[in-house]
Amino acid sequence: MRLIIYEDDTFGNFYPLTYLRAVFELRCGATTLAEKLRRVAPWWPVAYFARDALATVLRERLDALVNDPASLVGDDLLLVNGRLLLLDAAQFPAEGAEETLSCGGTIVGARVRRATAEAAAAQTPAELLAAVRGVLPTRELKGTVLSFLWELIHHNPAAIVADFKAAGKAGIVGTFSDHAAVWGSKEQVYVAPTAEVQPFVCIDTTHGPVTIDEGAVINPHTRIEGPGYIGPGTMIVGGKIREGCSIGPVCRVGGEVEESIIHGYSNKYHDGFLGHAYVCEWVNLGALTTNSDLKNDYSTVQVYLNGELVDTGDTKVGCFIGDHTKTSIGTIINTGTVVGVMCNVMASGGVTPKFIPSFTMFLDNKMYNIAFRNTLETARKAMSRRKRELSEADVALLEAALKLTKPERDELVRRSRKMLARERGLSE
Amino acid sequence: MSDVAERVRKVTARLLKVDAADVKPESHFVRDLGAESIQSIELVAAFEEEFDIEMDQDEALAVQTVGDAVRFIEKVIAQQRA
Repeated sequence: MRLIIYEDDTFGNFYPLTYLRAVFELRCGATTLAEKLRRVAPWWPVAYFARDALATVLRERLDALVNDPASLVGDDLLLVNGRLLLLDAAQFPAEGAEETLSCGGTIVGARVRRATAEAAAAQTPAELLAAVRGVLPTRELKGTVLSFLWELIHHNPAAIVADFKAAGKAGIVGTFSDHAAVWGSKEQVYVAPTAEVQPFVCIDTTHGPVTIDEGAVINPHTRIEGPGYIGPGTMIVGGKIREGCSIGPVCRVGGEVEESIIHGYSNKYHDGFLGHAYVCEWVNLGALTTNSDLKNDYSTVQVYLNGELVDTGDTKVGCFIGDHTKTSIGTIINTGTVVGVMCNVMASGGVTPKFIPSFTMFLDNKMYNIAFRNTLETARKAMSRRKRELSEADVALLEAALKLTKPERDELVRRSRKMLARERGLSE
Repeated sequence: MSDVAERVRKVTARLLKVDAADVKPESHFVRDLGAESIQSIELVAAFEEEFDIEMDQDEALAVQTVGDAVRFIEKVIAQQRA
């Protein structure tokens, strides 16, 4: 059998998180959506399908077949949509009869025998699913199909709990100071062999498990509430890591963080509040950067998505910050704000607008195009500090994203130029 | 002084709040006119608005003197109106 994890055409509902990654690479809990799906049958080979723009970077990152029609023949297949949030692999038996798989009325995959797959002669999972839909019986799965980016935050606490159970690791194995404490069950904490929990740290497991992964270091005066996940090589430099936080690998995090996902390789070193947020890679949040995740009138939060404001139906929604974006000291981010890829956000004395398009500098309440090549150099410097490199494929993807996002940026930049001219008396 | 040079001088003086007489072709935006990095971004945007052009930000921010700005803008105008 072979596992095929595919991205469907709803990836735009997860922008800006998915400009540089596939939907199935998004983190929810300790692991990504694809990593959870692989638990269905970890011993099977896996191949991936996603939009063409991502193919080269995915091959580099995943070291697997990507967008290769040959992976759709030669073996029995289990196709799974990468936005299926699979919290319990037992709900999804790997072996079984040929059938299409549905979740909440959405077709999320199929189990297809080799002969059926080869007869379909499909080039993509979508073509294969179209060929077997209505032909094979359909099984309804219990689970969640993610439709919008804020749902990652909503499901994150449960995903952390599920990932803790699936990992099957508990107990303090690594360094744990005599002056640190677990408040609650010690069975609900895992400190990996190379992790270090320093004095005056409190890990509160009364509401869920906490994992401190390999090489993570928790500095004094940190409180971590479960459910929580601290990724490999990450440093928590003091503060409150409230319930429902997933902090990926090699981050530097301090201050107050609540029900948020920091994908990895990002810094929020200083004080300031981050709540109900998803922060991508290589982001730096300047000191006292703070986001709102609740409106004063407790109304539901709207998020700018694909050119329009969409009501999330949720009263607790923070911000979504794309890769390589930096905020200055004292940046105040509005409720439900979307900040794109490679932005430079400067505090302007008020809250940010709800939408800052990718590759934009936000300065004095105006938006300007960034100097792309200069910003690439900044990205290279930031990545080299963590011993990572920006590959040619990464640059090509960034260039593609720059082009893709130009229309949404142009009008805002034009308006800002006119505002600048008026304010400075240049338009007389 | 060309029309472009006169308009660059006017925009620079107003945006950086310096005397127009101090804005000379050899004036260095940072060293002589006190432009900070943030003001450089604003200057590029102001020139784009003044001349209704779109400049490559990397190239525009590499310009250091008023005279070089005039030549750069003239080149961009010629390219974009060709």
